[in-house]
Amino acid sequence: MKKILASLCTIFLFSNIVTSAKAEINFLIGTWAEEPLTPFVEAFEKETGIEVNIQTFPFRDLLATIEVRGNAQADDVDVIFVDAPLVPSYAVRGMIGPMDQYFADTSVNAIFAPAGIAAASWNGEMYAPPLNNSGQLTYYNKDLLAKAGCAEPSMIEAERVTWEEIVDCAKKITDEANGVHGFIFDQISRYYQLQALPESAGGGSGVCEGGLSVKGCLTNDGWMKAGQFYYDIHNTSNISPKGVGPDQTHELFGLGKIGIFVGGSWNNGRWADTDLNYGVALHPYFEGGKVVTGCNSWHIGVWNYSKQKDDAAKLVRYLTASPEVAIHYVEEHNSLPAHNSAILHVAEDPKFNNFPGIVMNLATYESANHCATRGRTPGFLEFEEIVNTSFEDIRNGGDPASVLADAESRIESSMRRYK
Amino acid sequence: MNFFKRQWMVPYLFLAPALIGTIAFKLYPIFIGFWESLIYTSFSGGAEKRIFVWFENYQYLFDDKIFWKSLEITAFLTIIINPLQIAMSLGLALLLMRKSKFIRIIRSLYLLPIGIALPIATIIWGLMLDPNQGLINGLIGVFGIPPQPFLVNENQALWCIIAIATWKGVAFWMLFLLAGLEDIPKQYYEAAEIDGATPFQKFRYVTIPQLKRTILFVFVADTAANFVLMVPMIILTKGGPLQSTNVLIYEGYRSGFYYQDWGRSLSIITILTVITLIVIGLQLLFLSEKNEGIKVK
Repeated sequence: MKKILASLCTIFLFSNIVTSAKAEINFLIGTWAEEPLTPFVEAFEKETGIEVNIQTFPFRDLLATIEVRGNAQADDVDVIFVDAPLVPSYAVRGMIGPMDQYFADTSVNAIFAPAGIAAASWNGEMYAPPLNNSGQLTYYNKDLLAKAGCAEPSMIEAERVTWEEIVDCAKKITDEANGVHGFIFDQISRYYQLQALPESAGGGSGVCEGGLSVKGCLTNDGWMKAGQFYYDIHNTSNISPKGVGPDQTHELFGLGKIGIFVGGSWNNGRWADTDLNYGVALHPYFEGGKVVTGCNSWHIGVWNYSKQKDDAAKLVRYLTASPEVAIHYVEEHNSLPAHNSAILHVAEDPKFNNFPGIVMNLATYESANHCATRGRTPGFLEFEEIVNTSFEDIRNGGDPASVLADAESRIESSMRRYK
Repeated sequence: MNFFKRQWMVPYLFLAPALIGTIAFKLYPIFIGFWESLIYTSFSGGAEKRIFVWFENYQYLFDDKIFWKSLEITAFLTIIINPLQIAMSLGLALLLMRKSKFIRIIRSLYLLPIGIALPIATIIWGLMLDPNQGLINGLIGVFGIPPQPFLVNENQALWCIIAIATWKGVAFWMLFLLAGLEDIPKQYYEAAEIDGATPFQKFRYVTIPQLKRTILFVFVADTAANFVLMVPMIILTKGGPLQSTNVLIYEGYRSGFYYQDWGRSLSIITILTVITLIVIGLQLLFLSEKNEGIKVK
């Protein structure tokens, strides 16, 4: 009996030694990216012999998990998804390391679009190469617009629709008794989506020059105009419904309950199997104001506390610098590319000149020409959370002036840690 | 064996596992939390610095409008939810003490919420309270009441959370009270009946005094549980609208996990711990049975 037990122990120990000899890296990603990335991660495993353990989290939980693991300086994480505006925050706090040495044999300018490199960098060093980009457009329900007698918004720059025209049309469409509303934002009450409003009104990103203060930058006339606009569409004209979360907005549009939907290119595939008779147009702007749209998306970085940084960097490079991954992301997931090869693919493939493929072309145009990079600050995590909460408060009836003043004071107080 | 002959050690031996658990998982984290609340983490100049600042984090809190608003909401929630839950639990326990053919089935039905995890119950309630397509608005619409905003309204959101937490908590606390009621000797009620006591008098002079210890336990445990209630806030309201559901525990959680301001977060949690201890201390002081032993002159 003793001999059997001893043999089993030996086998167990030996098997552990064999297993531990194989490199294994832990990769924290968003749930939405599991499906598109898994085939490429598997290909990477085959090619390199490095095992990748994918751990998926919903958006908010992903950020919280990264914070908790970073605070613990955990070494059981190797590669992470990085939301573009969080690059400075993670870099300053030492959670991700510079990647330039892993791209030393090539030119990053030849691989990525300039905006992607800019979003990936802090203090002149590239920390997290871009996986994809994003672009915002106006989608509209052709039937509802026709019924209300509204003109369809245009894809032509000179005829770009204004927010004022959107509101006028949405008022005609809104029929609250039947649950129909004229307008909705895709990512409701989120800074990424709504930054275009104050930017268009001349208010800037909300973060002051230098990235360490918001004093006067969140309460200027542009932000006040944007806040009032957001208040009015939910509380005065009621063209946009309350109590709907960002995960429900595209469903409402797909069900024909929304006239005009301003959202990302990735939504296009969501309505492919519905009977929805919809069209697409350029992003709105305030009459007399700047044309601005949201942009940038997800990046991938090497965890600074990882014990296998070289293997981790191989995975990052494989996923971000491969044209195949970027083109797959475009083709299968309507995600805007940050990779030059995929950008070229969108420009050259004729299917992107006709509806619905044209969504990719329009979004690429918006992102390339009217991209408003989110506020660059090491305190972005706090900034975004407080701004998101403030937009939600305004949506729920809070006075825009006092809500924004409160937000400015809170963010300014939290920024003291970075000064 | 000699060890067990030292009888004075026996109780300590039995207490040791619980004591070690309490020190490791309660007292030590409280101490660490307090210690970290005295530390300020700065990223000035691009490098992380941990600076011991004594009570500076607390000083910042006392000048912080959000903290005071949060404290006010916590106080309001505590004042409303604890008596409400105890009263409803007691009422329910008294009802379920009545003799009926279906009492076992009825008791099981009332106990159902205990079997549902709070996050799941919260999500279900969130769907029912949806202002646009929720079941509750559909139901009240039958009576001609216009649709209510519920969780997206500053004046209704906290009441909705009180309702959800009460629905979930009442059956649990009722179990203790039911056990307490079962323990009251029947002879006391018979004697009261012979003396001509009314049902209210029986309740006032027999049930309540006999149930005092159970009520005290439930009151203390319920208060402690409600001070850390934040699942509905995380899932449904994120402390809004307009901070109307932003209780201290949630503000502490948000400061730490969302804003990474651990000094502020742990200062809030330390203050909440102190408040909880004070409130529970007061409850024990005013509600515990006085020593009724014979006084020796």
